Amino acid sequence: MDNPLHPFELHPFGQLSLFGLDISLNQAVIMMWVVVAVVAGLLIVAGTSKRLVPTKLQSLAELLVDFIRGMILETMGKDGMRFFPFLATLFLFILFCNLLGLIPGLYTVTSQIVVTAAFALFVYGMSVVVGLARHGVKFLGILIPPGTPLWLLPLMMPIELISQLARPLSLAVRLFANMTAGHTVLAVLFGMALSLPLLIAWLPFAFTIAINGLEVIIAFIQAYIFTILTCVYLGDAMHLHGQDEHAH
Amino acid sequence: MPPSTDPFYAGLGQAVRIGTELLAALIVGGGLGWLADTYLFASAPWGLVTGLALGAVSGVLNAYRAAQRWK
Repeated sequence: MDNPLHPFELHPFGQLSLFGLDISLNQAVIMMWVVVAVVAGLLIVAGTSKRLVPTKLQSLAELLVDFIRGMILETMGKDGMRFFPFLATLFLFILFCNLLGLIPGLYTVTSQIVVTAAFALFVYGMSVVVGLARHGVKFLGILIPPGTPLWLLPLMMPIELISQLARPLSLAVRLFANMTAGHTVLAVLFGMALSLPLLIAWLPFAFTIAINGLEVIIAFIQAYIFTILTCVYLGDAMHLHGQDEHAH
Repeated sequence: MPPSTDPFYAGLGQAVRIGTELLAALIVGGGLGWLADTYLFASAPWGLVTGLALGAVSGVLNAYRAAQRWK
């Protein structure tokens, strides 16, 4: 039976280097290009026919845009709409990485923690920069929950600091772990189906198909959670402690 | 789009979230404590112990906040 972690291995195609940096291509890099091409192509084709009665592709694109817009308005309010291009790109990229990775033989980019950690650190850094730009030094007040008595401050500040620093970690690990775990389960089940006699092999094979269906839902939910948490963190940075909070 | 409309998917999303929330804060707390032990003060094992305790507290706090948002 094959090693179930085999699908996550990366093998560079040939050697390429730039000023001593190793920039050789591997499946993950190619797959990211494919995802970018697919998403861009899909949306460009969907956007060219601006009909009043939409075509199928156009209504799919409109549904997506409306969905992301609703997510932003719900968590950040109207002034969050300036982040719409960034959040839509993030959501669509992660969603298509997850979905295309489910096609047998294609690589799942989001099963590499380097990729998810890069996203998470960028998103968190962005929320800190937005907070500092908007509130200046007062942004550090995010470490003090409202209504804390003075004598509790030495206890609350480390706790809040840890809970802030846990944000990028949980963001990165959640996406990576869900993708890796799902694909490992699929690999194990399918390996069983291949190695068992036909009399019993149908059982793990049926489960492979069922779990593949579940993975489609997971792919969607993980992209959704990543994006909505990005919205929440950016919203927190913009409205300290829910002053002029909109929803919730 | 299922997650925004169907309460089942919205709930599933929240449930998946809270578990990692607990764990991540614990790891960060313990990690910071361990760093303080090793590089700042020669206080081993107290930095790690305090860090883990604070991390556990802040993990519960994070999970509580995540659940609050869901109401």
